[in-house]
Amino acid sequence: MKRPLNVMMFSWEFPPRVIGGISPHVYFLSKSLAKNDVKVHVVTCDFPGAPEHETIDGVEVYRVDSYKNPSPDFATWVYLMNMNMQKEAAAIAAKLSEPIDVFHAHDWLVATTGIGLKHVFRKPLLVTMHSTEIGRRDGLHTTTERMIHETEAWLTYEAWRVVCCSDYMVTHVKWAFGLPQDKLAMVPNGVNSHVYEGFGRHDLRDFRLKFALPHEKIVLYVGRLVYEKGIHILINAIPKVLAKADAKFVIVGSGYMQEQLSNIVKSMGLEHKVLFTGFVDEENLLKLQKVADVSVVPSLFEPFGIVALEAMAAKSPVVVSDTGGLGEIVQHDVTGFKAYPNNTDSLAWGIVKVLTDDGYARHLRENAYRVILERYDWDKIAQQTRGLYEAVLGEYSKSAWE
Amino acid sequence: MRAVLFSWEYPPRIVGKLAEYVSILATDLVKSSVDTHIVTYHESLTGPSEEPSGAKVIRVTNPVRSHVSLITWVLTLNQEVERAAANVYYQNQKNVNVVDVYDWHFIAAAVTLKHALDIPFVYSVDSLEDHRSPGANAPFNMAIRGIEWLGFFEAAAVTAKSDWMKNEIMRVYNVPNEKITVLSPSASTWVKDVVHVYNSASGVAVK
Repeated sequence: MKRPLNVMMFSWEFPPRVIGGISPHVYFLSKSLAKNDVKVHVVTCDFPGAPEHETIDGVEVYRVDSYKNPSPDFATWVYLMNMNMQKEAAAIAAKLSEPIDVFHAHDWLVATTGIGLKHVFRKPLLVTMHSTEIGRRDGLHTTTERMIHETEAWLTYEAWRVVCCSDYMVTHVKWAFGLPQDKLAMVPNGVNSHVYEGFGRHDLRDFRLKFALPHEKIVLYVGRLVYEKGIHILINAIPKVLAKADAKFVIVGSGYMQEQLSNIVKSMGLEHKVLFTGFVDEENLLKLQKVADVSVVPSLFEPFGIVALEAMAAKSPVVVSDTGGLGEIVQHDVTGFKAYPNNTDSLAWGIVKVLTDDGYARHLRENAYRVILERYDWDKIAQQTRGLYEAVLGEYSKSAWE
Repeated sequence: MRAVLFSWEYPPRIVGKLAEYVSILATDLVKSSVDTHIVTYHESLTGPSEEPSGAKVIRVTNPVRSHVSLITWVLTLNQEVERAAANVYYQNQKNVNVVDVYDWHFIAAAVTLKHALDIPFVYSVDSLEDHRSPGANAPFNMAIRGIEWLGFFEAAAVTAKSDWMKNEIMRVYNVPNEKITVLSPSASTWVKDVVHVYNSASGVAVK
């Protein structure tokens, strides 16, 4: 009898530890793989109160000591954490009754763990590159940035396949590390549309009043307040939108640009029209996405653009900048409005169009939701990922290592 | 008996006294019928080679060229050391009896090999961070001490070159007396004593 595939995944974050997009990605991917007859063992960093080992819907989750002594800097911590993770993962893999067939690493944050286990167990390594240092920083300017970039290059070199979540990222990663085309695979990121089904817009009337007056439309931004996310473009577009429509701008997230941004808002005399909420919890975020009249993603660099998918799943019309993965998710005038990147006029025009033309907004909303169900369903993504594992193992079975 | 020695210096790369020590030891181990492999670092002379004595040397370099500190350099280099040692294991019918690690640099690789492939290791102490940087408690020094501690904790056996060093290891890291063997390079029984440590270490079950 053929036994199910046995996969070990490495991720520096897994719920309840949530820092960025990798945590929900690995959570939903591993759960959906389990439903598709793939046994997944996730090895991740520990989190206060979370158990060292638990089984979540068939996924084995191991949380290992993430190195808690003081570290000289973040990058050094990453390598020290990997030393611990690698030791623990080696012990876990060696004790399993069935051997691991494939190791799957997510980003450079677990690079040395993935590379090490590949060689000691002689099994293929897959890596999903969610982002790159050269993309995040728009170039390599410091020794730390170069070190991370070279670690990413090494990781993609050691990997049997490099998975990216958008065609844009495939092209970007191919360029950044000089990889051959046949080493790359595109599997989109998924979104869980079920979480938005719990509440309708009517139930949220009181909730909405906490953020905006009844006559104000809600323009929602969700993301870190950092340069690459283009939040400053949205802030600069606010007066142009307000000239044509009455709206409240709700800015969710935090980041190093926060003070600078609120100073700009103050200098424009628009403090009563802009609300900086900081970080909000999961439930309130879902509700906000549900009540938003438009969700804006003005990024300058965006490998994928999960926040646009979430808005589409919440049936909120989206206005995005035509860049990176965002440009692929959204089809202009069909599933959303695509603005010229780094262009306040274009962004303001799109927001006004959605806020003032109800027919257009409804058209975008309905098309977007249909695409979500067709393309970005986790079950379909898990099947694609399983297909990749099987293809790699087919090649492996003919290799010198088998 | 098949032993893999990890040392960050080995001729022609000579930093201190360790390179010569490991070189002489390897030659004598081969004479004592130990299949001896040395995994070491060299910037350019990478790959496998064989000494006139019959000792096999694998030199690896760091795939990551830019580094913020010695620690990131060491930890990334460990992956290549680990890969080289795993290759020795797989090329010899999955049989390596013991890994002998000199100082803290390649402890991370030895620890993973122990847990993954059931290969016990000996931690051979040349010097301690406490002596190299007395009293320093910056995160940089703490990280190195943490790695030394991991080495003492995970090792099947610890060796020191003098009674003084043995006492220091017990004082700084609370390693039990019976875990540490003093191997004096000037003793006539030196190589025999080393082989004895290897034999008893490889008898220690990992799991």
